[in-house]
Amino acid sequence: MVSGSINRRLNEFRRIGADWTLVSGLLLVVVFLGVGIVYPLFKMLGVSFTAEALSYYVRYFSSPVYLGILWNTVKLGLTVGLLGTVLGFLFAYVQVRVDVPFKRFMHLMALMPIISPPFAVATSAIVLFGRGGLITYKLLGFRYNIYGFTGLTAVLTLSLFTVAYMNLQGMLRALDPSLDEAATNLGASKWDVFRTVTIPMLIPGIASSFLLLFVEAIADLANPLVLGGDFTVLASRVYIAISGEYDIFAGSVLSVILLVPSLTVFIVQRYWVSRKSVISVTGKPSGKPTLITNPFIRWGLFGLAMFFSLLILLIYGTVLVGAFTELFGINYALTLRHFQFVLFGLGSQAMLDTSKMSLIATPIAGVLGMLIAWLVVRKNFSGRGLIDFISMLGIALPGTVLGIGYLLAFNRPLKIDNTILLPALAGGNAIAGGTIALILAYVVRSVPAGVRAGVASLQQIDPSIEEASISLGADSATTFRKITLPLIRPAFLTGLVYSFARSMTSLSAVIFLSTPYAKIMTAQILNEVDAGRFGNAFAYCDILILLVLLVIGFLYLVVGTTTGVERDFGVSL
Amino acid sequence: MIRRIWLLVTCFTLVAVLAACAAPVPPTAAPNTEGQPAEAATQAPAADPGRLTVLCTPQEDWCVALTQAFQAETGIQTNYVRLSSGESVARLRAGKDNPEFDVWFGGPMDGYEVAKTEGLIEPYVSPNAAAVKDTLKDKDGYWTGVYVGAFGFCSNKEVLSSLGLDVPDSWDDLLDPKLKGQIAMAHPATSGTAFTALWTIATLQGGDIDKAFEYYKKLNNNILQYTKTGSAPGPMAGRGEIAIALIFSHDCVKFQKEGMTSLVTSFPAEGTGYEIGGVGIVKGTQNLEASKKWIDWVLTGKVQEIAATVNSFQLPTVPDAAVPPEAVKLDTLNLVDYDFIASAAAKKGITERFDAEIAPAPKE
Repeated sequence: MVSGSINRRLNEFRRIGADWTLVSGLLLVVVFLGVGIVYPLFKMLGVSFTAEALSYYVRYFSSPVYLGILWNTVKLGLTVGLLGTVLGFLFAYVQVRVDVPFKRFMHLMALMPIISPPFAVATSAIVLFGRGGLITYKLLGFRYNIYGFTGLTAVLTLSLFTVAYMNLQGMLRALDPSLDEAATNLGASKWDVFRTVTIPMLIPGIASSFLLLFVEAIADLANPLVLGGDFTVLASRVYIAISGEYDIFAGSVLSVILLVPSLTVFIVQRYWVSRKSVISVTGKPSGKPTLITNPFIRWGLFGLAMFFSLLILLIYGTVLVGAFTELFGINYALTLRHFQFVLFGLGSQAMLDTSKMSLIATPIAGVLGMLIAWLVVRKNFSGRGLIDFISMLGIALPGTVLGIGYLLAFNRPLKIDNTILLPALAGGNAIAGGTIALILAYVVRSVPAGVRAGVASLQQIDPSIEEASISLGADSATTFRKITLPLIRPAFLTGLVYSFARSMTSLSAVIFLSTPYAKIMTAQILNEVDAGRFGNAFAYCDILILLVLLVIGFLYLVVGTTTGVERDFGVSL
Repeated sequence: MIRRIWLLVTCFTLVAVLAACAAPVPPTAAPNTEGQPAEAATQAPAADPGRLTVLCTPQEDWCVALTQAFQAETGIQTNYVRLSSGESVARLRAGKDNPEFDVWFGGPMDGYEVAKTEGLIEPYVSPNAAAVKDTLKDKDGYWTGVYVGAFGFCSNKEVLSSLGLDVPDSWDDLLDPKLKGQIAMAHPATSGTAFTALWTIATLQGGDIDKAFEYYKKLNNNILQYTKTGSAPGPMAGRGEIAIALIFSHDCVKFQKEGMTSLVTSFPAEGTGYEIGGVGIVKGTQNLEASKKWIDWVLTGKVQEIAATVNSFQLPTVPDAAVPPEAVKLDTLNLVDYDFIASAAAKKGITERFDAEIAPAPKE
């Protein structure tokens, strides 16, 4: 028994050893995951369980104020998860099942949040719907207090619902219409079909959207900082602890407290809900779905979706106009001075640094994502599941948690006795001015999307094509390069596009890592918003959106055609 | 098609490798290896003498104006990062063994006293500091005053009149229940401005911290949000989102000048606090000569006059700098006896207690 299992292991090692592509690929991935995720995470956990840190747990869990903050965090996650899923479902349903005009416009509006920096919606919402807001006060004449739970929930829902939209849209499209037909033939009304066929089939998708939104909402840092009011959440507490006090114990302990619900929900989503799927995708669904014809429902849904689309348009329109406005809300004179600051003033350094680092991170994340997907789907070795899981942590860990891990792991050289194993990677005096830690963080945050797209795409491709290549004498590397990679090109493109957009717009994971030599655009936007220089903030947002669009356009041009890619772009999570 | 992918990957990898080239030379035991990698590194903070990184705490446009002027005049390549006072001390603490900044400019003296006690800044007595009054600089030369400003109330008169209230002229005015959710101040953990307010209140309570906390607790009921940066509540008041911002009066004047015309400055009759904005050299800087040059330079009249060109109307500390007409007239104010040695010693305790008991607490 025992010797048999040892033998099996030995055989496995021999088999892996014989395949040098597998060995080098595996080695690369293991080193990347080890340095980029496991080591910083353990470093952070290590600090959070020192004797000094333990007293913080006692303090936090015995204080009604901190229990309130914990509850606030959960409440925010639940509400945004619920509302975001409902909004995402509305957009997806209208897109797939209702015959109305302007679908393309609604689709584009729903995608806007992916490419926009985290402050765009919040800042716009303040000048439009705040106490002195253009709509609430100037137009309707009342002073609405946007700071706090309601405003925060609304802004987060509008910023995050895209995940739910893409998720549910993909599922709705994959639903086999013959089921609907069967139900209708058996005498069910449209409502019955919706209630007893469509919704039950979508339950896994709805649940997983809800859970993903929950994780993203409780991890969000930007919006609570700008709009929190007296509604305090864990992420902003972590930020104050590090940025205001450099109290690494408080930061680590709060991170662990934030980590527990995020990771639990993520694991439930990943290993339970997503396995419950009742949809079997065996190819293209047969026939066309029956569209909603009842005019009340049809135009009612249209009206709702259109309302939210126009709201998003208004919000981003404000971001655009606000950048050309002297002082939005007070003085609407046109000006170019905000753009001058961002493009040619000292504000330009942040723009250049962030773009450079994102451009370096993008191809690395793209190739690593495909490599991990290929290893996980096509290769057979122990620890496959573990590699898949750890790579997904890049997105499952709240950004602030990762950021503190990096701060603790990379601010000093890693030494054993007096030999330096790893020089300091983060901080102004680290090698390359701290850019390496930042690029690593970008890669870690973007790899999961590439992995998921790659896995989904590889599972659709029959391995016999690759086997044929091997039989004809090509080695693993040649097969990966000449057969696999071209076949999963759309997934590769998804990985690249997502990775660039993600890197340019991320804040929470990198805010502690910014240095005088590597300035982060989103951190600069936070400064501008916080200091009330909304014009500069809007100009930064516009430039950032423009840069992301330009690079995405360039990637489409070089890597692929637009057909089919868009679909992949969305189902990447 | 496939070739294009590889072209792209190769291009990107090339960029990555080029950028990384600056990096991989691992620092050996000998400390003096800067010369070698620095040539390839466009971004590496190597210790060539022509560089200066300023940790800058006042308004960002002032930081821009100063660093640009300094670079133009001296040829020293000058860079800055703007952080609030509390954040600055935290950053200096984080980089204590290996500082990423050379000098710290601006922000209230309490922060400098904390930095001095913790060994984060080092003494330098500039020849130009002789012109600065003794009350405006550290006796051991760790920091020197570069400007003076008074704390005040920055109110939006339209919002106040819609609430049926007059412009506040007393700390007690801030506790009016009508002002619920109508006041903003910064968070004392990040902002020196906010700490100046807290210490002023404590001083007015005769130094009784518990009594001061009773006041903060009452004030907290009227606070809408604690911001990160000290001056941030100003624009909130300017846009009509709140009635009163608790900030330095010179920032209020700045926002008025820049178009927020509903703002009006006032001061509490019981007494108000003030700040001496400091400048000091970060301990362990690798650009000591450039740092000293910076300190000498900001203690000259013409440099202190740059502030007013970017609407920062603090009072200069050297006598040959012209006092802008917009600056606060200190002799018309009732200033509290602000003991910044005591305040620095009490800062950590007060901030932590405020952060635990007041800021995240729900309103009554």
